[in-house]
Amino acid sequence: MSGESSDTPAVELVDVDKAFYGVKANDQVSFQLARGEVHALLGENGAGKSTLCSILAGLYRPDAGGIFLEGRAVTFKGPKDALQAGIGMVYQHFRLVPNLTVAENFALGHPDVGVRIKQKELYRAAEELGERYGLPIDPSARIWQLSVGEQQRVEILKLLYRDARILILDEPTAVLTPQESKALFKTMRQMAAEGRSVIFVSHKLNEVKQVSDRVTILRDGRVVGEVATRDAEPADLARTMVGRDLELPSRDARTGFGPTVLAVEGLRVQGDRGLEAVCGISFEVRAGEIVGVAGVSGNGQRELAYGLVGLRTPTSGSVALDGVDVTRASVLEHIESGFAYIPQSRLGMGLAPGLTTEENLALKAFRRAPYTKGWRLIAAAFRDEGARQIQQYDIRGVRLGLPIRLLSGGNLQKALVAREVELEPRILIARSPTRGLDVGATQAVRNQILSERDRGAGVLLISEDLDELLALADRILVMYEGEIVGEMPAEEATAERLGLLMAGEREEVSP
Amino acid sequence: MMTRRFIVEPRGLASPRLKLAVPIASVIAALVVGGVFLFITGENPFAVYAKMLDAAFGTGRGFSETLVSATPLILTGVAAAIAFKMLVWNIGGEGQLLMGAVAAAGTAIWLGDGAPAVLLLPAVILAGGIGGAIWAAASAIPRVYLGTNEIITTLMLNFIALNFVNFLIFGSHSPWRDPVVATFPSGRPIAPTARLPEFFNRLDAGIFIAIVIAVAAWYLLEKTRWGFAVRIVGDSSDTARYVGISVPKKILGVFLLSGAAAGFAGGLLVSGPVGALDPRSLDLGIGFTGIIVAALARLNLVAVIPVAILIGALSNAGPSLQAIGVPAATVTMLQGAILIFAVAGEFFVRNRLRRPDRVSEPILEAGEPA
Repeated sequence: MSGESSDTPAVELVDVDKAFYGVKANDQVSFQLARGEVHALLGENGAGKSTLCSILAGLYRPDAGGIFLEGRAVTFKGPKDALQAGIGMVYQHFRLVPNLTVAENFALGHPDVGVRIKQKELYRAAEELGERYGLPIDPSARIWQLSVGEQQRVEILKLLYRDARILILDEPTAVLTPQESKALFKTMRQMAAEGRSVIFVSHKLNEVKQVSDRVTILRDGRVVGEVATRDAEPADLARTMVGRDLELPSRDARTGFGPTVLAVEGLRVQGDRGLEAVCGISFEVRAGEIVGVAGVSGNGQRELAYGLVGLRTPTSGSVALDGVDVTRASVLEHIESGFAYIPQSRLGMGLAPGLTTEENLALKAFRRAPYTKGWRLIAAAFRDEGARQIQQYDIRGVRLGLPIRLLSGGNLQKALVAREVELEPRILIARSPTRGLDVGATQAVRNQILSERDRGAGVLLISEDLDELLALADRILVMYEGEIVGEMPAEEATAERLGLLMAGEREEVSP
Repeated sequence: MMTRRFIVEPRGLASPRLKLAVPIASVIAALVVGGVFLFITGENPFAVYAKMLDAAFGTGRGFSETLVSATPLILTGVAAAIAFKMLVWNIGGEGQLLMGAVAAAGTAIWLGDGAPAVLLLPAVILAGGIGGAIWAAASAIPRVYLGTNEIITTLMLNFIALNFVNFLIFGSHSPWRDPVVATFPSGRPIAPTARLPEFFNRLDAGIFIAIVIAVAAWYLLEKTRWGFAVRIVGDSSDTARYVGISVPKKILGVFLLSGAAAGFAGGLLVSGPVGALDPRSLDLGIGFTGIIVAALARLNLVAVIPVAILIGALSNAGPSLQAIGVPAATVTMLQGAILIFAVAGEFFVRNRLRRPDRVSEPILEAGEPA
């Protein structure tokens, strides 16, 4: 170890600001990382965790404030500088070359590797490191042959091969099985024992409790708490992370729900990588009821929605709408039987960015009159219906005939929601429908959802925004790792209670 | 680290004027570059261009030949444009044209002299379209159901088609080969009743058929229910899936239509100016030139028509240059230069250059796909 006094932090951020297009992602952030500690960064999506890490890793330069390495001010011009200084990051999306072997990926960008790669030495180094840190890996395997967990191992070993003193792991457990996570925690502890420092980004409380020495909590770009993990109560952490000490919103108690609209029984749906993402979920939504699904993103919400609307065929279980089984129906059959779906990313799925606003408003209804007569499109119907909906739903900034992508986020979402509610669905499934919207647009979208409920549709509101769930939902389910781990009427829900369940803390079952 | 003096950023929306200016500017830029090249090789560029203009449009004969050249180009241009619009990279127009010609000539020979012209002629032309579509299917089906790369398969199938045609004429005594001339093999001439009558020098009604097909393709894509679904797929296949459109079927449909358009070009050549399955008159790179036409027309199916006439004029002017001692390949070079400038110009349609200010990079938060 160096001769510095032991209380000099390994790295320190002082009053760091970082804004993107005027939005502060990091606001006066100060952060200290001690030598030999595992330091958890806790916060909701968009709290600024990734930005903070990216600044440390040299990917972003702070607008203001300083980075101090072992007490000395440093500036990183890029990730290479940071790595040179001993700071390395494992990103959520790996930076590996799929067609190269593990050893070759080790060599990439390494300053000591000359023109000719000494395969044997690399192999030996990779094997030795893997053994030492409990991350066994075959150095001759090509990256594409490896599982996600193994690829992550390669990323970590690559940093250790560069002898990084500070390792930043950005939500590393998101892609791991519980067993793999356990092994990773062991490795993290070992690295800390050797005097390396580890930053562990997570929003899962149990993991933070398990592995870290200290926790820094971020919210809305600011540091809102820093505690030694052993002194921290999960409930306190959850409350600090989510933000407000929410009082129950005063809400008219709704009791008169109609018959069951959507009945889901033992639903299982696979994730993108073939792992089960929805693991046997059962619930019902009644007419005129808003059922909220809380949960940290990536716990199976996307697959649940896909499974419900026909975008992904469930592996088992059943989905019924008004008593009619639609488990294996196509997307079109779902739409025609009364499903409406507001997906999470408007421009990725949901809208056709290059088509006009009026065309986008007709994206689902174009197969019927008035949009079509036989096989012909009726241009006037697009224009007139478009103009009506644009006015009715207060979609601003539209010029007919121009691509919808020119609209602002709020107006894009208003258009998408307009199209979905125009279908007069039996069940409306919405995923984070107000994420990233301003206050006005948020209100407009929420009002649409409420008026669908009043019309007698069932609503399934899948959201990470607890405020939204508490304000709109009649009943809240909590999803964690593909299962429903809690269910409660909205009156009994609090941010703390939901936050704990979302983080995987099981509640005692009360009768 | 070097500081960049300009930032490239996406344009919100390109004005119609810009969209028109870019192809015109790319033609002019190509002519200027070509002029410099001609000047270096000791020619007077103005004289050469004047000669080309005269050869292409100056006389009735020249103008009719320009339209004769433009006819198949309109169709291979449509073939490329309709596919590229949908992000289907069919560069097999060449092979689809040849197989269209095989089918057309085969139909004419098979039905023979006996069939009445009113039936024979449409059958021959239609066979061209079907032949092209079948050849496209050989790439389209693996692309849609197995995810193969259509750039490679369509390209490779071009060579197979060409060798197949050569085999039919040079390598075997197939029904396509003219049995009369034994010294130098050539395609067997089809019956006069299977051919479009010429009405203006060598020009026949093929030009009108090509224009009708181009306009019909535009109508299909812009004005029909099927075309709307196809445009949704072309804009965002995830969104198309989300609104319940069968993406594979639509891609297959567009791919086959694209092949059919190129096949019609072969059919019209056989029933028109060529009159036989003759490799020397069919293997002229018309399929590839169609890609230039489509690019220059900015994938607009109607704009393909004037652009094809322009490129047809260029091709037609080639041979006349030899008369004044300039290589005919000058024209090929000009076509290549036009394509390069058109593609480069596209960059400025989509992006603009801007002086940097103090706006940071966008947030690279990892988000879910949907």
